[in-house]
Amino acid sequence: MFDIQHGDDGVIVCTGRLDAAQCEKGQAFMDEIADSSTLDFDALEYISSAGLGILLKTQKRLAANGAALKIINVNNHIRDVFRYSGFNAIFDIEAK
Amino acid sequence: MEKAFARSNDSLTAIYEFAESILAANEVSDAARFSVHLALEELFVNMVKYNPEAVSDIDLDVSATANKVTVTLTEYGVAEFDVTVPKKVDVNAPLEERTPGGLGVYLIQNLADSLEYEYGDGQSRVTFTKESGI
Repeated sequence: MFDIQHGDDGVIVCTGRLDAAQCEKGQAFMDEIADSSTLDFDALEYISSAGLGILLKTQKRLAANGAALKIINVNNHIRDVFRYSGFNAIFDIEAK
Repeated sequence: MEKAFARSNDSLTAIYEFAESILAANEVSDAARFSVHLALEELFVNMVKYNPEAVSDIDLDVSATANKVTVTLTEYGVAEFDVTVPKKVDVNAPLEERTPGGLGVYLIQNLADSLEYEYGDGQSRVTFTKESGI
């Protein structure tokens, strides 16, 4: 189960497991983002390469307009995946 | 324990629940469970993606001991796709040079403690292991 929605404090809240079966939902939401935004991963348990692809595609699109994604409350396991993938160098990431 | 899953990304939730029940019952560490689920998904999705003409289910065998988790995926009527061939991804490339895709096999090769591939008569089998971390 994966969910993504705008939170009360302006951040985008991601919940559950972002796997390849949930990509369409995640991509559709991210395609609507036009400015710099913060993703709250506090309740995101898991992400696979399919989810990483969504983040990368969005970051590249935003960068063309001088904007960027920030990702906060990242758990240790997802942070390891970011490190393996080199995402810690191309995203502003804050650990839990 | 072995179970067959339909060749579709829609099977991923059922695959997660099947594998998780075995890993939890054997008290596999959280870190090892995350890695096993990730490598398992990447392998399954790869099989679905690169053999779209295949129709047979994909067999999944998951076992866990105090020392290690062993996962085997077997598919039938498919072309050869050796996931053990080293995947080169420049993870230090700047954003403008990065392209989505290609990370799946790279992650499998980095997360698994061992990775083996067998192919013959249209049957493709991948086995990986991960220390249980108990």
